[in-house]
Amino acid sequence: MKHFDILIVDDEQRYADMLAKRLGLRSLTCKVCYDGQTAIDIVGEEFFSVVILDLRLPDLYGTEVLTWIKQCRPETTVIILTGHGTEKDREQCMARGAHSFMNKPLDIDRLVTIMTGIKESYRHD
Amino acid sequence: MTESLNKFPGAMWPQFHRKNDEHLNPYYTFQDYRQTWGMTIFILMMTALLPLVVMTLIYYQLIETSINTESLLRTERLASNARRAVTFFLEERLAALTFTVNEMGYDQLTNPGHLSEVLRNLKLGFGGLTDLSVIADSGTQVTYAGPFNLEGKDYSNQPWFMECQQHSACVSEIFSGYRDVPHIVVAVKSMRPDGRLFVLRATLETERLIQALSSYKTGEHADIFLVNRNGLLQTPSQFYEGESHHMNIPLPAYSDRTRAVMSTDRNGQPILIGYAFIDTTIAPTSFLLMVVKQKAGMMKVWLDLRSNINWFFGVSALIIAIVITLTSTVMVNQIFQADRQKAETMVAAERNCQLASIGQLAAGVAHEINNPLALINETAGYVKDLFTIKQQYKEDPDLLEHIDSIIDAVERCGTITRQLLGFARRFDVQNQPIDLNEMVADVINFHKKEAEYRNIKIHVDIPETIPLIETDRGKLQQIILNLVNNAFQAIANGCFLDIRAEMDGPEHVRLFIRDNGCGISEDHLNKVFEPFFTTKKEGQGTGLGLSITYGLVQKLHGNITVQSKTGQGTTFVVTLPVQIKKESQS
Repeated sequence: MKHFDILIVDDEQRYADMLAKRLGLRSLTCKVCYDGQTAIDIVGEEFFSVVILDLRLPDLYGTEVLTWIKQCRPETTVIILTGHGTEKDREQCMARGAHSFMNKPLDIDRLVTIMTGIKESYRHD
Repeated sequence: MTESLNKFPGAMWPQFHRKNDEHLNPYYTFQDYRQTWGMTIFILMMTALLPLVVMTLIYYQLIETSINTESLLRTERLASNARRAVTFFLEERLAALTFTVNEMGYDQLTNPGHLSEVLRNLKLGFGGLTDLSVIADSGTQVTYAGPFNLEGKDYSNQPWFMECQQHSACVSEIFSGYRDVPHIVVAVKSMRPDGRLFVLRATLETERLIQALSSYKTGEHADIFLVNRNGLLQTPSQFYEGESHHMNIPLPAYSDRTRAVMSTDRNGQPILIGYAFIDTTIAPTSFLLMVVKQKAGMMKVWLDLRSNINWFFGVSALIIAIVITLTSTVMVNQIFQADRQKAETMVAAERNCQLASIGQLAAGVAHEINNPLALINETAGYVKDLFTIKQQYKEDPDLLEHIDSIIDAVERCGTITRQLLGFARRFDVQNQPIDLNEMVADVINFHKKEAEYRNIKIHVDIPETIPLIETDRGKLQQIILNLVNNAFQAIANGCFLDIRAEMDGPEHVRLFIRDNGCGISEDHLNKVFEPFFTTKKEGQGTGLGLSITYGLVQKLHGNITVQSKTGQGTTFVVTLPVQIKKESQS
């Protein structure tokens, strides 16, 4: 069975940490980083099953990071988690290969359900 | 015809309705359109009528002056001609007497037979002589020829005899004398062979003189007569005989030639007086010839003409006034309407601008609030997670309830921020043909249960003739839903909701959503589309519903208006294009 590692990319540090803790409690191990470039670096070095990505990052646009990840690590699933994203954002992200698009404040149960689905699909692979 | 009659008072006295339009006032070009209208009419009237009035008055003045001059001239000419006639009448007879006295001498004249023959010859030659007599220097009549026997009469006290002593001849005033018949005495003085003086006297009939004068009378308002130098009438006057045979107009000043002057009679009526003091070459007389004409009579033709001109002028002025008033009214009204449209556009633009800036602010606020909200949500979620995992807290429903209430509150705030962003954002419009009837039915379906429960009657009247509308389904649904929601909140149980549609020209559809609920007060009517404006109790409404609706309608290139009366209900009217034009979309 492959490792199921998760990376949370969000400029709001406390939010990212808190989300990591909550997912940790649900047996989902997470790494966190707080800007786009670090995220690209980490993803370049290491394989992550899922990246939870914010669209508003201090240095890069979330969509740029998404494009990069999908180019270099096509197997990695990207879930966009943003403050109110527009319909346009959603369409763009989905077109660039995002798995799903979620708005803050987050419904943790929904996220977990999605994760479980992804995990299941990994297991089948 | 009746319609144009009804419009006429409005065209002459426009209203410039500005009731309930105070909010448009800052954008009007003129502060007071009635004043502008009045000034326009006044200036145009002055420009058109003043020169006309001035010209007419000058013309009147000129005509009157020329008529006066002409009348004076004519009166003077008439007086001059009459004077010549009177003078000739007297001079002719004086000359005849002078010739007789020189030719015949005292001796022959004192012969009664001779004197009678002379009288007969003179009567044949001139006529108008009554008698002839020779008077001695003592004043006693020596010889008499004529119808009366006046021999031996003493004339020494008669004024004409005394005057004759001083001059070579004399003409008396017209007097009645011993016979009590009006007559004139003319006398010529001569010398007897013994050196003493004697006088040949003749009595003239006044009839001939009066006839001669009458022949000069022209027109019914003219009067010609003789007076003496004290104003005593010598011949009868038709209009101007006053007390004790004096004329009742003032005596003119002496002049050696014929003159004409303007004056007034005793009634104050203007008259023209032509006069001449009559003197013969042989003897002076005390006669003054008067020609009096009433000015009104002479002016009659001109006055008639003037009255016609006045009528013409009055009618022209009235027509000019009406044309100017109508033209000014139309022009100022058009300016007013154009200004009003401009003002309304400005107000709408200002409101859009205000709404847009509030929208931008709202978007900013929503973004900023969203991050801490998300954090609160995760933190509360984490705390809940912890409690759920640890068995001792899991059993404590109170704790979990509190945490849940925090998460609920966050969710509610999340809804508000989503709405705010929805209001602020420009979503792309995705057009598809929509059956309005179906859509309204769908929306009503949401409220069916509530309507049944609250006993609210919903009446929908959307005619078959309304075509499919090419527009964004989601937004239109949201608009109708918001308005129906709004109506449901405004009405009490048992009221009604009326939804109907009609065509507004071939390219627009109008949707009316009418309720008979509490209504909106006039103060609030202008603010209902502003964000955060609500009259509901705190916590019951965000004050965003109608402003979002407004934004959505604008996005669909439509227009929304509201009419309401407190206590009677509210009608929202949404006007939408049947087809959104491609260029306006971009």
